[in-house]
Amino acid sequence: MPLQFVMPSDEELALLRADPLLWEQELDVRPEVAAAIEKAAGRRSGRVYWRSAHDHLYALELADLGRGRPSMAMVYGFWDRYEPRPPEHEITADLLDLSLWVAEVAEGIDPADVARVATFALGRERPTWPEGSVLRTPDERFADLPGYPYPPRYVEIEGLRMAYIETGAGDPILCLHGEPTWGYLYRRMIPALAAVGRVVVPDLIGFGRSDKPVAPNAYSYRAHVRWVRRFIEALDLRRITLVCQDWGGLIGLRVLAQQPERFARLVAMNTAFPAGEAPSEAFLRWRRFSQQARWLDLPGMMRQAVRRSLADAETAAYGAPFPDARYQTGALVFPRLVPIRPEHPGAYDNRQAIATLRTLELPVLLPWGDSDPITSQGEAQLRGIFRNVAPPFPVRGAGHFIQEDRGEEVAEGIVRWLRG
Amino acid sequence: MPFNTPREPRPRPRWLDAIFPYPSQSVIVNGRLMAYVDVGPRDGRPVLLLSGNPTWAFLYRDFFGPLSAAGYRAIAPDWVGAGYSDHPRIDAQLTFAHHIADLVGLLDALDLRGFVIVGQDWGGPQGVGAALQRVERLAGLVLMSTWLFTGYVGRFHSSPRPWTTWHAPLIGAFFMKRLQVLSQHGPSAISKRGMSEVEARAYHHVFDEPESDAVVLTWPRTIPMREGDRGWADMRAIEQRLPELRDVPTILFWGRQDSVFGEPYANRLKELLPHAEGPIAFDNADHFMQDDRGPDIAAAVVEFLDRRLGPAV
Repeated sequence: MPLQFVMPSDEELALLRADPLLWEQELDVRPEVAAAIEKAAGRRSGRVYWRSAHDHLYALELADLGRGRPSMAMVYGFWDRYEPRPPEHEITADLLDLSLWVAEVAEGIDPADVARVATFALGRERPTWPEGSVLRTPDERFADLPGYPYPPRYVEIEGLRMAYIETGAGDPILCLHGEPTWGYLYRRMIPALAAVGRVVVPDLIGFGRSDKPVAPNAYSYRAHVRWVRRFIEALDLRRITLVCQDWGGLIGLRVLAQQPERFARLVAMNTAFPAGEAPSEAFLRWRRFSQQARWLDLPGMMRQAVRRSLADAETAAYGAPFPDARYQTGALVFPRLVPIRPEHPGAYDNRQAIATLRTLELPVLLPWGDSDPITSQGEAQLRGIFRNVAPPFPVRGAGHFIQEDRGEEVAEGIVRWLRG
Repeated sequence: MPFNTPREPRPRPRWLDAIFPYPSQSVIVNGRLMAYVDVGPRDGRPVLLLSGNPTWAFLYRDFFGPLSAAGYRAIAPDWVGAGYSDHPRIDAQLTFAHHIADLVGLLDALDLRGFVIVGQDWGGPQGVGAALQRVERLAGLVLMSTWLFTGYVGRFHSSPRPWTTWHAPLIGAFFMKRLQVLSQHGPSAISKRGMSEVEARAYHHVFDEPESDAVVLTWPRTIPMREGDRGWADMRAIEQRLPELRDVPTILFWGRQDSVFGEPYANRLKELLPHAEGPIAFDNADHFMQDDRGPDIAAAVVEFLDRRLGPAV
């Protein structure tokens, strides 16, 4: 596969840490290989950059040393400057892709041989999550969910089982939940939406019935965006109406900016698209609380946060994905991934995405719970980004979890807008 | 063995046990082994004891007893490149940002909450840099013989003997790598209490393996003296975020004989962290003040922690 060379900006590079991964003092031990790399990279010295299958940025740095061809080389990975680097198997997979590229451009090295040696060294074709690094919530914890009778479906994304439900027919209506919930949050909206389209409700990795990596560095803003993009590609969803709330918006809007051709409409509710602005006091309080907590008591938290009164079986459904604290890494990490400073990981990517979103003509509806201090600035922000926004759709008395507080009413409003 | 597989730190020589009876444990951070000493109750408040160039957890040997006896969990990591951690040979693997990310990796791996950073030399900026990435979990800060800012360069770092000479291209490599002035003659050279030979060996033997002392030169080269220096942007980033620490109980110590980061550095820290207690001076203390006055400084740390935070998280 050819490397997708890119040219990162100085601003982006300053936010990353260049980490030497491979170095070669004898690149021209076979001069024809050095010459082939020079031809493919388009240079004899200096750097070329590419983005890997995991959206990580890498560079190949070449030095001539007066020999008339590249004779030394260094390969760097670029990570969020002060954060632990991503899971090792992702880096290994990306370096395997680099090795395959070198074999492809150079004469006399068969990529199939590289693949065979890799299979021998790895004990498998592609590197994957190490044994014990991913948890799966037992199915029986999801038995008898009130109001959520849809059988789970699964798709494998980068070695992880990602769960979703679907119901209805027609163009897809993709509903993305956020922190700290799962697809269950949409149950009051699904019946009305299913009358006008194929409702697809995935659980984010780390949530609901989806697999849950244990290590905090498995979860990054970029990884969530990639996983959802791959989910959309796996189901080959097109003409999507994206319905999103909370982190569903932060993730969904990035995917929208990456693949706008797949989306027909956007319904964003009680979310925001932060690119480094100072957050609300309410969010900072939540961030502080969550970062000090060892365990999120989700039934208790949802009972408090939802303004309607929930049955015990309903609040229990929010706790179902998490048998113990080890399962909650994704939920515990999420609040600190929100880009709240200009140099915060994700802020740069969102600034770039906003530039793309500003050019889109897709119709946008913003149902907004008016009693949510966390996302009170989000509606005005999104209204300023998108060109084709429907008149305000305030939902009086609804809080952050608008799908719980006024789900049926919001779904009916969306259906009217879709038909109108 | 694949490079990122969990493994034991390399074995220690037997002679070390008598003066440093605390075993090292390890985690893999950013693909490399990071060794750390971990003494005290598991559920006690974590106190991270952070050394700098060219030392390791041994520098804090007088701290483990008093802290653990008072109910704290004393954790002293060796920076990657130093002590019993892996020693990469490439400068570009030992940047300021690498060290910060490595410590963040340790904080995550041990799942530490309500932790205290105790930092000296590079343990100050690298420790605070990591704590700012997990700032809600930072409970307290103890700084000694260190700095967190650009814009002030003291006599040590601006004078040609030894600093600017060590710092110079090629000349620095000659002194540091070939003559090993820091890795084999560092802490012992400026000991105020007269270090025993075996104590000096305890500091230096971790760099016995040829080519294992890259970090000893990379660290000085990272000290930001002018805008554009390799450590400048990272130090500025830390300095600009210091107001976020205004509610974190903080205390500043300095040594009256400090030949590297003396009183002007402590005073500048006080300006940037005006809520801090101190700066409190210790007599007969040079740059490695934990070695010169270990039991006294350990007692001062315990007194501060008991008064402001307590051992329960």
